[in-house]
Amino acid sequence: MSAVDIDRFERIVLVHLDSAYTLARYLLHDEHDAQDVVQDAALRAMRHFDGFRGGDARAWLLTIVRNCCYSLRRKQRGQPRTVGLDEADAVATADTDSADAEVLRRTEQALVQRAVASLPAEFREVIVLREIEAMSYAEIATVTGVPVGTVMSRLSRARNRLATLLAPAAREAS
Amino acid sequence: MTCAIATERLDAYRDRELEDDEAEQLRRHVDQCAECASRLAELARQSTRLRDALVRYSAPDTLRARIRSALGPADAAPPVRPAVPRRQAEWMRLAAAVLVTAIVSGGGAYLAARQELTARSTTDAVVSAHVRSLMPGHLTDVASTEHHSVKPWFNGRVDLSPGVPDLAASGFPLVGGRLDYIGGRPVAAVVYARRQHLINVFSWPDGSGRLTPTVTRTERGYHIIRWSAAGVETWAVSDLNPAELRQFTAAFAAGR
Repeated sequence: MSAVDIDRFERIVLVHLDSAYTLARYLLHDEHDAQDVVQDAALRAMRHFDGFRGGDARAWLLTIVRNCCYSLRRKQRGQPRTVGLDEADAVATADTDSADAEVLRRTEQALVQRAVASLPAEFREVIVLREIEAMSYAEIATVTGVPVGTVMSRLSRARNRLATLLAPAAREAS
Repeated sequence: MTCAIATERLDAYRDRELEDDEAEQLRRHVDQCAECASRLAELARQSTRLRDALVRYSAPDTLRARIRSALGPADAAPPVRPAVPRRQAEWMRLAAAVLVTAIVSGGGAYLAARQELTARSTTDAVVSAHVRSLMPGHLTDVASTEHHSVKPWFNGRVDLSPGVPDLAASGFPLVGGRLDYIGGRPVAAVVYARRQHLINVFSWPDGSGRLTPTVTRTERGYHIIRWSAAGVETWAVSDLNPAELRQFTAAFAAGR
């Protein structure tokens, strides 16, 4: 790959690295696995960059990242499972400033994060792509490889489940 | 439209994914049906809640460095063997380009190409030094958030006293300082942070006495802002977005 191509690749594809890493974190629940998968996906994307003729680079990269996540999961399924990170720990805990509002905000964040983490992967990914990435149904369909109608129904069911999980009654019970 | 059909389509309606005529039908139904209207309001509340609370992660600098070093002519991975021939080949290509330019367009173009080469190689060296600093254990020689302890540390180590302003109040806490080596001489590197992003500020004496305008460029995905004033040439490098990096350099230049 020439210097010019690398430059193009960085401008067009690598600018979406945060999105790629975010999707991998939500799908894998593990910081190190997510880093490995995103690196692998970025290198695959680079190898196939010749075949990329414009279009939606973010959707293209995320499709590769998603496939890498699923194949890592399949591989791991045969192996003894390492204990995943508790998502509550993964919630950013930056400073020690514990003003009440901040504590509340973090509790809310941990609660929502845990609810999303408990969803099956096919629901979790549509929530991430829609609510964090603000992708259209057509883009989500590209990334997840299912028809738009399926995206629509998965998203609706995922939101229903979240509503139940996040309802005040469920909060008290947990 | 019945409530059963409406309920099925509320999500898509809220996401503006329905065809115009369907959306219009649904809007009319919601106007008349209090139950569906409240469901729609609940969907909006939940969506806002998710957007506020869900963490959007930033790819760590180490991951970016790993990818960049795997990409190509970079320098980042320390002794990987093919790096040397590749670098030579790169240099030969550049030299050939300069030669061709010189033959085709004469001396002026040759000089311009030479200057471009020098600027490019400093940019290259500065970005490489930044990437190297992100590898474990390479970031600082003196780790301190106190500018009073970082600034004096450079005494006798480099041939200038670098600016180490306290920018914590502007949201750029100091991380520390270190010696680096650019363009054949030791230079001062001062490190600041912004969220998970690190900013390296390199400075060395500029003998030209010129006041050069601020130059911004992007190399291998890193943003670089360079300026020269009061006999000191300063380069700031980071993967931070250009807007915030400009904000940083403005605060830095004002604070020194």
